[in-house]
Amino acid sequence: MGDLFSDYELDGFFDEVFEATGVRPHYRGVLERLRYLSSDDLERREAIRDGIFRSAGITFTVYGDDDGIERTFPMDLLPRLIPANEWDIIERGVVQRVTALNRFLEDLYAGEQAAVHDGVVPRWLVHTAEGFRREAFGIAVPHAARCLVSGVDLVRDHRGTYCVLEDNLRNPSGISYVLENRAAMTRVLPVAFAEQRVRPVDHYGPMLLRALRSVAPPSAGENPLAVVLTPGVYNSAYFEHAFLARQMGIQLVEGRDLVVDEHVVYMRTTKGLERVDVIYRRIDDDFLDPVVFRPDSALGVPGLLSAARAGNVTIANAVGNGVADDKALYAYVPDMIRFYLGEEPILPNVQTYLLWDDEQRAAVLDRLGELVVKPVAESGGYGMLIGPHASDEEVETFRSRVTEDPRGYIAQEIVALSRHPTLIGDRMEGRHIDLRPFAISGEQVEVIPGGLTRVALTRGSLVVNSSQGGGSKDTWVLQAEGPAKDPDASTVEREV
Amino acid sequence: MLARLAENLFWAGRYVERAEDTARMVDVTYHTLLESPQGRGSQSWEQLLEVLHLQELYGDGPIEPERAVEFLVIDRDNPGSIAACITRARENVRSVRELVSSELWESINDLHLTLRSRDMRQELLDQPFQLLRWIRRDCMTIYGVASETMPRDDVWRFMALGRLLERAEMTCRLIDVRYGQLEPVLGASPRAAVGGEAAMGAGRTDFHHWTSVLKSASALEAYRRRYRSSMDPADVVEFLLLEPDLPRSVVFCLAGAMHQLEALSGGAPSPATRRLGRATSSLQYRDVTDLFDVGLHEFLDGVQDQVGEVADAVAAEFFRHQPTGAMHAIATG
Repeated sequence: MGDLFSDYELDGFFDEVFEATGVRPHYRGVLERLRYLSSDDLERREAIRDGIFRSAGITFTVYGDDDGIERTFPMDLLPRLIPANEWDIIERGVVQRVTALNRFLEDLYAGEQAAVHDGVVPRWLVHTAEGFRREAFGIAVPHAARCLVSGVDLVRDHRGTYCVLEDNLRNPSGISYVLENRAAMTRVLPVAFAEQRVRPVDHYGPMLLRALRSVAPPSAGENPLAVVLTPGVYNSAYFEHAFLARQMGIQLVEGRDLVVDEHVVYMRTTKGLERVDVIYRRIDDDFLDPVVFRPDSALGVPGLLSAARAGNVTIANAVGNGVADDKALYAYVPDMIRFYLGEEPILPNVQTYLLWDDEQRAAVLDRLGELVVKPVAESGGYGMLIGPHASDEEVETFRSRVTEDPRGYIAQEIVALSRHPTLIGDRMEGRHIDLRPFAISGEQVEVIPGGLTRVALTRGSLVVNSSQGGGSKDTWVLQAEGPAKDPDASTVEREV
Repeated sequence: MLARLAENLFWAGRYVERAEDTARMVDVTYHTLLESPQGRGSQSWEQLLEVLHLQELYGDGPIEPERAVEFLVIDRDNPGSIAACITRARENVRSVRELVSSELWESINDLHLTLRSRDMRQELLDQPFQLLRWIRRDCMTIYGVASETMPRDDVWRFMALGRLLERAEMTCRLIDVRYGQLEPVLGASPRAAVGGEAAMGAGRTDFHHWTSVLKSASALEAYRRRYRSSMDPADVVEFLLLEPDLPRSVVFCLAGAMHQLEALSGGAPSPATRRLGRATSSLQYRDVTDLFDVGLHEFLDGVQDQVGEVADAVAAEFFRHQPTGAMHAIATG
């Protein structure tokens, strides 16, 4: 395999590329190509990649810097490959999950609340969730497409089983990296790419626009106008907001560009006011409408919620989705799937313990140092305890936090995240990864093949978030009749 | 186009022009002082600050020439300083990066970054002329790049409109700052003072003043070709206000602004075009010789007010649409 993989260690983790007997079949073609690359070659290709990202201005802003330093999100040269049979499980699992979540949310905010009435999801948990928005009651969304874009975070455990870690139903970001990684990869490793029959991702823009237009209110007429609403250039994801508007060929607006008059939303143009039917907003609920939410928000549009309630505009993602992002409610998603769809979940949750339950809490506190503890309202890897990596002091801090506020935390078994060879310096080392596929809800739920594979670049780290020093990989979903069939996939299927 | 973006383009045009013209005015004040025997340094700077409406920001205290120059060129707490204007122009262009050519963005970003990285305080002390000339040239480069890389659509027009209205105002101020400084010497009738044989000392100084005014408006050569060696203040003022072919004359700017405005409004008369038309004709039909008797300063203030009203009308027509009921929606699709 050449020098790249000399001393490559599996360290007992599930490795995406290697199994005990050698290279997994679907990776053979790509590794064969890499074998011929000298270290000069690799350097040259890295330089090509860096040039592409810099000139495209693909950056995210790191907060806390004076000038808001813009950094690139480093893409590894070795792509992550997903064979067709594995992707089939992921795709069906994500569609199933998002469909159930759409049903639950629509039922909760604009329906009978059947899951709550029947005791499938405890009412008090719903009402105490930080993302719950009473103000969204009575606002229905066409096709119940409340999670118009969701970014379901998946991880693979030590057996290679894909599990759901978070659903990200509010404002998931990262799709711009998926598209730009792909564009860069086809130029950095064109031959390897061409040989693999990789499923394309570049129809994301048209797909998103079609979904946005499909949720326009009935009053919108035949040619509904959709816009992207951004907090502005100082937001860390501004690049992505502008990117998506460009991909869809629609206006990127800020709150001050919109005005509500008699429950109708208009965009201020140089030629007058133009009616807006659908808003793909990348602003959090709290800042969306100062009339009902934070009155000090200058980012939002006064009266926006009343316009949505009057059926004159659709806000996507819908207001109040955060309730289902609460990690205590996440634990009930498998039950939601059974209740609303009458199906067994295709993708399992990570084993989760609810700490407001006395028995579960007692059991968790007994072995706190072996578990992960997460605050229910956070995402993105903030504020959590990873027991085995924590000091005694940190463990004790979390013990008292959990005891004081048992509703505020959940505990999970540690998942030994799968690893993927990643170019570190001039050789490959195993690094933990996850996968965020993007699902779009319109008339039906669709998943873009692949998604964002994030890499924890620090050796041994389980935290893959870009804000915490993560990188990414282009993610190749292989066509069904591809050159490589994965004999291992049957095991995966059995376990799921 | 989104109204906010149009307004940002309009102001990007204004800020770059303001930076350039401020450099021109600082330059002319410097020049005049160097060649003036009286050395009335602080008074000249005070008058410049007054003409730029910046004396309040400058604060009370004595007006030291060095401090005044720093205040006008690099002080970021002064929103009218050259550095602050360029920063705001860059912010405006940044918000419309999707609309303008990448060359335009790069040229303004370069100027901004250079202004941040250089030790400007030292350069202002050592070589103020080189520094000011370099700023002027870079501002002109920005327009040149825009002019050579951008289609003549509404994006271009809003930026050009902002630049032309700003320049019209700033040329008025450029004339005003000199006139204000000369008043104590010349009394009510500058034509007599310069034209006559008397008061040679004052006349010679005056000659230098008006030469540098023309120079700072890049109009000296054109003026000489027209008027030969005569340097009559009334001629200079008339030339800078009314010469239709001079790119920095007020009339030239107003005519250019009218051209952009008509294209933006689709040719239909609007409050903005009517105001602009009134401002232009009140200038064109003015006998400049009696301006000195009426009070040139008051007249120039009046022109600036009229230009300000045009800018207000532009804002009302393009940037500030307010809903007054559901009927205001324009048809879509």
